[in-house]
Amino acid sequence: MLADKLGSNGSGLNIIIVGTGKVGATITAALYREGHDITVIDKNAAIVQTLTNNYDVMGIVGNGASYSVQMEAGIEKADLIIAVTGSDELNLLCCTVAKQVGHCDAIARVRNPDYADEIPYLRERLGLTMIINPELEAANEIARIVSLPRALGVSPFAKGQAELVRFRLPEGNAICDKKLMDLGELVKNIRFCAVEREGEVYIPDGSFTLRAGDTATFVASADAAVSFFDSIGLKSGNVKRVMIIGGGKAAYYLAKQLTVMGKAVKIIESSRARCDELENLIPSAIIINGNGSDEDLLNEEGLRDADAFVPLTGLDEENILLTLYAREISAAKTVTKINRINFRNVIQNLDLGSVVYPKYVTSEAIIAYVRAKKASKESGIETLYHLYDSRAEAIEFKVGEVDGITNIPLKYLHTRNDLIIASINHRGQAIIPGGNDCISAGDTVVVVTTCTGLKDIRDILG
Amino acid sequence: MIVYILGHVMTIVAVLLVLPVIVGLIYGEAECVWFLVTLLGSGLIGLALRSLKPDEPVFYLKEGCVATGLSWIVISLIGALPFYFSGAIPNFINALFETVSGFTTTGASIIDDVEILPHCILFWRSFTHWIGGMGILVFLLAVISMTGGSQMNLMRAESPGPSVGKLVPKARHTAIILYVIYTALTVAMILILVLGGMPFFESVCTAFGTAGTGGFGVKNSSIAGYSPFIQWTVTVFMILFGVNFNAYYLILMKKFKQAFGMEEVRWYLGIILVTIAVIVLDLRKVSAAFGENLRSAAFQVGSIITTTGFSTVNFDSWPSLSKTLLVVLMFIGACAGSTGGGVKVSRIVAVFKAGLNELHLYVHPKSVRKPRLDGKPLDDSSMRSILIYFAFFIIIFAVSVIIVSIDGQDLITNFTAVAATINNIGPGLSLVGPIKNYGLFSDLSQVVLMLDMLAGRLELFPLVLLFYPPTWMGKSRKIAK
Repeated sequence: MLADKLGSNGSGLNIIIVGTGKVGATITAALYREGHDITVIDKNAAIVQTLTNNYDVMGIVGNGASYSVQMEAGIEKADLIIAVTGSDELNLLCCTVAKQVGHCDAIARVRNPDYADEIPYLRERLGLTMIINPELEAANEIARIVSLPRALGVSPFAKGQAELVRFRLPEGNAICDKKLMDLGELVKNIRFCAVEREGEVYIPDGSFTLRAGDTATFVASADAAVSFFDSIGLKSGNVKRVMIIGGGKAAYYLAKQLTVMGKAVKIIESSRARCDELENLIPSAIIINGNGSDEDLLNEEGLRDADAFVPLTGLDEENILLTLYAREISAAKTVTKINRINFRNVIQNLDLGSVVYPKYVTSEAIIAYVRAKKASKESGIETLYHLYDSRAEAIEFKVGEVDGITNIPLKYLHTRNDLIIASINHRGQAIIPGGNDCISAGDTVVVVTTCTGLKDIRDILG
Repeated sequence: MIVYILGHVMTIVAVLLVLPVIVGLIYGEAECVWFLVTLLGSGLIGLALRSLKPDEPVFYLKEGCVATGLSWIVISLIGALPFYFSGAIPNFINALFETVSGFTTTGASIIDDVEILPHCILFWRSFTHWIGGMGILVFLLAVISMTGGSQMNLMRAESPGPSVGKLVPKARHTAIILYVIYTALTVAMILILVLGGMPFFESVCTAFGTAGTGGFGVKNSSIAGYSPFIQWTVTVFMILFGVNFNAYYLILMKKFKQAFGMEEVRWYLGIILVTIAVIVLDLRKVSAAFGENLRSAAFQVGSIITTTGFSTVNFDSWPSLSKTLLVVLMFIGACAGSTGGGVKVSRIVAVFKAGLNELHLYVHPKSVRKPRLDGKPLDDSSMRSILIYFAFFIIIFAVSVIIVSIDGQDLITNFTAVAATINNIGPGLSLVGPIKNYGLFSDLSQVVLMLDMLAGRLELFPLVLLFYPPTWMGKSRKIAK
């Protein structure tokens, strides 16, 4: 029927997003840019209005878990529903209702630690495609950065076999002003795949010269990354003492991981009741009841001697100030969590060290899934990361038998100019490929490219 | 960005001008040369403007409104050129009046004798109705996929009605759906008219005039000379084009219950039926022929409430009650989201309900109660914008009547002339009645009436904004920097 065709024409998927908070708005913006047909639902008319003004999306005011509201949003024709309201239970209910009415995939945000261990069970039982937990993801990322303190950011590929590591090249380093191909042994086990210099992003080839001040990204196994930093003189002392400000969900997830890794964790939290809870949940951490933005308290608790400092309060501005203060008086590795504010240019110029944005972590996972949904059967996207303010992407493809790609040595493969094949994960082993290596069916392949929007492994060909 | 959009609009007008050229060629008329000249001029300038890529691809509400207001002025200027060059209308202000009247779907004419005009001119006259009915920028959205968000700011500025709902998530798809429904209804009407024995060319022009709720006819006597079957067909289609197009979409989506449950559509049909009944009773005073009275009452009511402005009888000679009812209908207008003009049924209903609500508050001062439309409460901000619309409407109306009265015509002429232009109807009463035209007004009055037509078609604000100095302030400061 004509109207049906019109209603669903174009290449975009029909996506319903319930909840238009930080994460909801970020996902809306990201998916809109990918060209999908989006309907947003929220109880707050003003926020819906803002979104529909800024993006070409349809807005509906109402309770997203209600059957009639979902019908109005066109759940019957939707391909995907994403529930990211503030309440875990409402999100799960939304997806459950949607599953009954429509034939769509469902993604819910569930972040309460109470459910953390039951997520696989919930996912399977409720038939959900994905359950996302931004706080947990952020905590994971912070934990990775803390264990590799020279890096600005660390993102895992191939179930942790390979890592995408970002760092800033300091003045006077041994590898400055040399062509990559002349570095020889130093870069044998790593692959530089993107460099940001003065606001431009480059995909480097062998004749590329690194300069001091570049923010470079490379792919390597976790061990290779550490030994690379050691060999270029960026020795990273082992991080022992970690100080966390604020005792929210992310702090809980982070502290739990760090204590398992054997670090000494200190959490400063202002609410007495929350302190008691945390003390109960993570007995091996030191819980301090006090105001984290109190200079004297920070000094008294040994900020000067801390190896890592992670402000995780609910206020972005406070986190930034705390980081700036910590960098002033101590040599600690700092990781700043930014939830809400958007001035990324300003933040980049502030010398904050590593910055983690939970909302982007979430939208990356969802975009990876949505793109994979549109790709062909033989190839799919496993993981996707935005680099340098979304100007470059690192994508991990799962590759089946694909003519023109598999079993051809890479030197004969004519890939796009703005793209680099960074790593091939062959039978659980991540290798940095050379010209004679080839991609086999069943591998996963990590590519880094400044051409955003790749969906299919075939798209890497020039 | 605004210039870029204007460039696009000009190229689209150039493409649309191809049709009258073809018509001219079919009938072998020399006047089509002038369409070709205008086409090339508009097309070339449009392409040149388009090559000035905007530095910022997004635009906000202000830019959307300004772009809309300017686009309509530009297309009117371009559209007037063929009339002027070909000598069909020797005075440029008159030619512009005719074009503005066409694009705004008013249908007020300054031409004494339309039957002597060449076919291509007549076609272009009617075709401007069809383009203006759904809106040129909605058309733009349908054919061009623009990057960046905020396209809604264009659509909101151009679509009739207090609130614009999207049918589907993307503005472009919504625009395409609207145009498909619009075209389908127009084609259906042409077919029925041809079946009813009307010549093909006249069917097309009449259908265009009806679809856009415009009202330019190809005969001096409008629709009066045609058979009762054709008159009834036009009546039904006029009323259909005055219905909120969302209802048609819902019908297409097989959501019949929702479609017929739309409160505005019900009010609209209710008002039509009641007025027809009253006028039929009133007409008994002058004529006993019931069937004929019913037909002409239905036709005139449909024509006025949808702001089309066709006529089958000279309703200026009707009894006072009927005339007054028609004037009131002029202000009510069609449904929001249709091609019709006027204040819009939904606004009238909202204000009426707000009034009742206020009375309720006198009886129970502490009660909590909100006026509802379609079962949903009307929040304060939409109520506010409706009331401000009314206030602006009255101010513009009053100022226009005062300026027009400088010409020295009688009050009824001035009053109904302004009412018929600001509501995009066409014929008024007395000296601007259905068998008269607007040629008697001076250039100044014609300019005022043109602005009224544009203001009425664009729901006041996009046009008024052009005359509000702070709109242009930010711009000049940027250049100075």
